[in-house]
Amino acid sequence: MSQMARAVSISRKDMQSYYSKPPLITWALLFPAVLILAVYVRDPATYLAVTPGIIAMTLLFGNTSMAAIVVTFEKRSGTLQRLLMAPVTHRTIILGKAASAAAFGIATSLVLTAGLVVLLGMRITHPLAFALGLVLGAATFSLLGLIVSVMVKEVFEAMTLLNLFRFPILFISGVFMPVEALPAWIRPVAMVSPLTYVVELFRFGVSGKSYFPGPWLPGLAMIAFLAASWLAAGPAFRRRADR
Amino acid sequence: MAEHETSAVITASQLTKRYGELTALDRVTFSVRRGEVFAYLGPNGAGKTTTINILCGLLRRDGGEAAICGFDIERDPVAVKQRIGVVPEESNLYPELTGRRNLEYLGELYGLSRAARRSRADELLETFGLTDRAGASFRSLSRGLKRRLTVAAALIHSPEVILLDEPTAGLDVPSARSLREVIRSIHRDGATVFLTTHNLAEAEALSDRVLILVRGKVVAEGTAAEIRRQVERARTVSVVFSGAVAEGALRDACPAVRTATHADGAWRLEASDTHAALAQIVRFAEGQGVRVVEISSAGATLEEAFMAILQDSSRGQESDT
Repeated sequence: MSQMARAVSISRKDMQSYYSKPPLITWALLFPAVLILAVYVRDPATYLAVTPGIIAMTLLFGNTSMAAIVVTFEKRSGTLQRLLMAPVTHRTIILGKAASAAAFGIATSLVLTAGLVVLLGMRITHPLAFALGLVLGAATFSLLGLIVSVMVKEVFEAMTLLNLFRFPILFISGVFMPVEALPAWIRPVAMVSPLTYVVELFRFGVSGKSYFPGPWLPGLAMIAFLAASWLAAGPAFRRRADR
Repeated sequence: MAEHETSAVITASQLTKRYGELTALDRVTFSVRRGEVFAYLGPNGAGKTTTINILCGLLRRDGGEAAICGFDIERDPVAVKQRIGVVPEESNLYPELTGRRNLEYLGELYGLSRAARRSRADELLETFGLTDRAGASFRSLSRGLKRRLTVAAALIHSPEVILLDEPTAGLDVPSARSLREVIRSIHRDGATVFLTTHNLAEAEALSDRVLILVRGKVVAEGTAAEIRRQVERARTVSVVFSGAVAEGALRDACPAVRTATHADGAWRLEASDTHAALAQIVRFAEGQGVRVVEISSAGATLEEAFMAILQDSSRGQESDT
């Protein structure tokens, strides 16, 4: 059996153990749905301006948190050690864990999006750009959650570390205010945030409008972020997973 | 026995591991032959778990070599892990999964086909008396049943080598006895067993060979009988002569006797070398024209030998410092 098949086994087990729990699914859907509804109730004409940002923000918080919670939980229970004793490479474990977290983020985002389309009449004008943002964002954020989780022992430590970059980038990544409306000196900073590109891919997917001329530039930027996260996850895992 | 059957399956050469200033393993060298039960003993902090963690790829060594079935653990970790089953000190299966799902999931990770892992899981559940609790979550099982399931999980892929870290620690007597029977059965089936335990009677009953580790260093290695003999050389001998003998004459004739005390008609002699002392005593009796009415020297248990070796090791360390 190939390492890829073993990664699929790890993913499937994690989905069964962690991601199929009704309270988790409910929370993952309710949190963004309530936020979007609040914006919609205030002004139905402009809710679409922030909806892509809220979906991206949910993806960021959901995926980084879930990956971190699963890994720190398994470190505490000793089951990560069990996985490390099995004939799987560190890369296989990273792939399996990140894929299940990403699949959860993609599935909940799709359900949320479907709800918005059916209930509020939101339209997806460029599905490919939207899908690109969803897949690349979910995978990158899951890997970031994994990297942080192997560096710490407790869930609260992982959350503290994650929040050090999650909250600041919310304000510079076009979630609540489009990048073009940000002060000129912040815009270069926005370009180093992966969230900016996910928001812009979603924005392009929903309205066909974006700070960038098309979906390809943010798409390429996200591929670069994904590759960097994948490369960083290996050494981080090797150094820290057995502690 | 064919040559390949007696060849070394686990080899450690000059294995060294440091945690900051502490040297947990100091140039440890040993080899475990195919099909034997090898007991790896030592007090707390001796480096037993560190060794197991290096052998199963959880820890990186700082020096030396370690290989299992001919594969270096750091250069070919997947090949090694495919051939070993590990029972860690803590039973660490997935708490939320049932016993059967735990076994089947681990079977997947070891590359067993769906049919193979199902039938192997059934077989192991039956062997370990867990069939009735196969549908219960791991977290709901008693400590003894968790331990049994953890051993079963280590066997899901029928490994050539089993590493057992304190397998019976914390178990009640019936559970520990049952687990020891399981270890014997694993051994009978041809697997090589590497066992760490604090229970020296268990080590003596189960193992073919024993290694004693103290503060990361190997201080004794051999069969349990060989290790006992190492300390039997310095033991007390009790002897009753048919007539009176003088202490001075006895000491002069028996240089292997370090001290001699007479009480209740018997001499208690502390010997530096029991075998030499026995021969000298018999010769002394002949020379004195008395008979040896009774002579005894109780054999040391492995536990006594272990304690004597620990004391020697501590004295050695003190004199070094």
